[in-house]
Amino acid sequence: MSKSLQQKNTRSLLTWLPLVMLAGCIFFYLLLSSHIHHLQEQQLELKQENIWNTLRSMPDGIPLHIKGEYDIEKGSPVPAGWIGRQRDTSLYYASGREWDGFAILTKQYRLGDTIYQITTYFSSKEITHLLIKVSLAEAVIFLLLLGAIVVINRKASRTLWTPFYDTMETVRNYDILKNKPPALAGQTGVDEFNRLNETLTRLIDHAYSVYNNQKQFTENASHELQTPLAIIRSKVELLMDTPFLNEEIAAKLGDINEANERLSQMNKNLLLLTKIDNNQFPEGHAVQVTDLLRKYIRHYQEYYEGDPPEIKVYLEEGVLLQANSSLIEILINNLLRNAIVHNIPGGYVDIRLTGRELTIENSGLVLEGDPQRLFERFKKGRDESGTTGLGLALVRQICFLYRFDVQYLHTAGIHRIRLAFGQE
Amino acid sequence: MLTASENTPIRNLYIAVNHFLATQTRLFSFLPDWALALRKFAAMRLLVIEDERSLLTSILQFFEQEQFRCEGAGTYSEAIDKIEEFRYDCIILDINLPGGSGLQLLKYLRADEKGDGVIIISARDSLDDRIACLDLGADDYLTKPFHLSELNARVKALIRRKYSEGAHTVSMGNLRIDLPSRLVTTTGGPVPLSKIEYDLLLFLTSNKNRVVSRRAIAEHIYDGPSEQGPGPEFVYSHIKNLKRKLKEKGCPEMIHSVYGLGYKLVL
Repeated sequence: MSKSLQQKNTRSLLTWLPLVMLAGCIFFYLLLSSHIHHLQEQQLELKQENIWNTLRSMPDGIPLHIKGEYDIEKGSPVPAGWIGRQRDTSLYYASGREWDGFAILTKQYRLGDTIYQITTYFSSKEITHLLIKVSLAEAVIFLLLLGAIVVINRKASRTLWTPFYDTMETVRNYDILKNKPPALAGQTGVDEFNRLNETLTRLIDHAYSVYNNQKQFTENASHELQTPLAIIRSKVELLMDTPFLNEEIAAKLGDINEANERLSQMNKNLLLLTKIDNNQFPEGHAVQVTDLLRKYIRHYQEYYEGDPPEIKVYLEEGVLLQANSSLIEILINNLLRNAIVHNIPGGYVDIRLTGRELTIENSGLVLEGDPQRLFERFKKGRDESGTTGLGLALVRQICFLYRFDVQYLHTAGIHRIRLAFGQE
Repeated sequence: MLTASENTPIRNLYIAVNHFLATQTRLFSFLPDWALALRKFAAMRLLVIEDERSLLTSILQFFEQEQFRCEGAGTYSEAIDKIEEFRYDCIILDINLPGGSGLQLLKYLRADEKGDGVIIISARDSLDDRIACLDLGADDYLTKPFHLSELNARVKALIRRKYSEGAHTVSMGNLRIDLPSRLVTTTGGPVPLSKIEYDLLLFLTSNKNRVVSRRAIAEHIYDGPSEQGPGPEFVYSHIKNLKRKLKEKGCPEMIHSVYGLGYKLVL
C-alpha cells in the first residue's frame, strides 16, 4: 500500500523514536540509580568514620543505638559476608505508621581486644522519591520531544516538498490537447527539484512540438490536397461539356468524378477531424438542439423524396447545449444521414430528444461484429463502398470534445445510437 | 509592364470610357430586358487571379465558353497590373498568391473604391476566414475544391445583383423566373415549385446549355454543413418532379440527362 511522503516519514519517526527514547529512559534510570547508590555509600562511609572516631575517643560516652542513625554492637553478630557491603532494610516508625526504607552499611573495627561492628543507616525514602520524580519528568520530556520532532518534521518537509507538489499539480493539470506547455519554476532553491523541473520541461516541450508538428502536417497536407482535387474536378467538368462525349467516355468520366468526389469528401472530413483535434472550434453559446434537429429532419424529408424511410419524431422543446453550433450541426447531420442512408426499403427512423439524451433508432441491415468499432476511422459496415468511413469517427470526436457519452447498440437489424449529453 | 504611373492620355481615356460603360447601366434602362442582358453579357469582363496555372486555365476556358471576356493573372503583381489597366465586372480571387495574399489585393481594391465584384476562392473553409473576407468587402466566398458550375452560378448571381437594377428577372425561352418573389412562370401560367426545385431550376438556368454534374447539383441545393452533404443519388427524384411540373405548364424537354453524368438545361 502506498502512502504519502509525510505519512511515511511520520511513520518511521513514530516507529524508531519511541524505541530510542525508551532505551534512553532505561539508561538514564540506571545511571541515576548508580549515582544514588554511590552517594548513599559515601554518606554511610562518612557516618562510619564519624561514629568510629567518636567511639574511639570516648568508648562509653555515646549511645550504642540511635534508631535510623547507627547501631554499635560488640562481637560479630552480623555474618561476615555482609561486612562492608551496602544493604537495604526497613524500620517501623510509629509516628508515621509506616515502614521506611534505609540503606545500611556494617563495618567491623577492633579497639584493643574488643571487636565492634558499627552499622550506619541512611534513609532512602526521599532519595527513592526523587529518583521516581526525576525519571517521570524525564519520560514526560521525552514524550514532548517526540511530539515536537514529529510536528516540526511534518512542517519542515511540507515546506521542503512544496516545489515538488507544485510541479506535480501543474503536470497533472496539463493536457497536451488543450494547453500550451506549462511554465515550471526554474529556481526552486532545491537542486534536485530544479533538475526535476528542467527534465520535465524538456520532456513536455518535446512532446508538444512533436504533437504540434503532426497536427500541422495533417492540416497542411489536407489543405495542399484541395488544389489538385480542384484541378481534377474542373478538368472533368470541362470534359463533360465537350461535344465528342459518348457513352463509353461518359462512363469513365463518371467513375473518375465519383472517385474524385469521394477523395475530396474524405479530405474534408479528415481536415475537420484534425481541426476538432486541434481545438480550432471556439466554444459556442447555447445551441438550440430542438430547432436544429427539426430543421435537419425537415430537410431530409424534403430531400429524400421518392422512397424515404418513415421518420418518427419525439422532440422535447427548448433543448439547449453549450457547444459550437457548426459542430453540433455536423453531429446531427451525420447521425440523421447515417440513419436514413443505411436504411432498408420500407424501414423507419425513430428520433427522440430529451434534455438528457438524443436517441436515434433505425432499421437497417444486420451488422456483423462489434458496432462500437464503427466509430473508428475508416471502419465501415458491409457494402458502403461509396462512403468515406469517417462519419461516425467525426461523431465520436465531437462527442469526446463535449464529453457526451455515445453508444451504438445493435440487435438484429435495429440500430440505435444513444447520445447522453451529461452537461449540467 | 504597365502601372498606373505610366498611363498615357489615350489609355486614361480608354479606362474612363470603359468604366463609364460598365457602371452607368441606368443610361440604358430604356432598352428591353433582353437587350440589356445582351449588352451586359457581351461586354462582361472577368479577371481570374489564381496561382495554380492548370486551375486557372480550366476557369478561363469555362468562362470563355460562357461568352465572358476573360483575363487571367497568376501572381500578385500581375493581378495589380490588370486591375490598374481595366475595370472588371467580376474578379475571381484566390487567397494564396505568390508575392502577396489575396486579402491584400482585396484591401487594395476596396481602398481604391473600385466597385469590381469579387468572389474569393480559397482552400480555407473556416467561418472566420469567410467572415474576414466578407468584412473586407468580398461579395462571395467559395471553398476549394469547387464545381465550375457552382462558380458560374455565383458569378451570374453577383452580376445580376450588381448590374441588373430594376431587372430582377431571368428569362429563357418561354420560361421566366422572378428573382425577388422566387416565382417561375411559363406561357402556361405560374409553376408551383418547392424550395429545392426552385434552387435547382435557377442553378440549371445559370448553367444553361452545359452539363452540370449530379454532385454539383446535390451540393448546391443542400444547405447543411458542407462537410457531409447527402449523396448525389437523391438529385434524381427532384429532377424528375421538376421536369414533370415544367411539362404540365408547357415547357417540356428542357432538362436532359447526360449519360448519367449529370443534367443539362437546353433551350
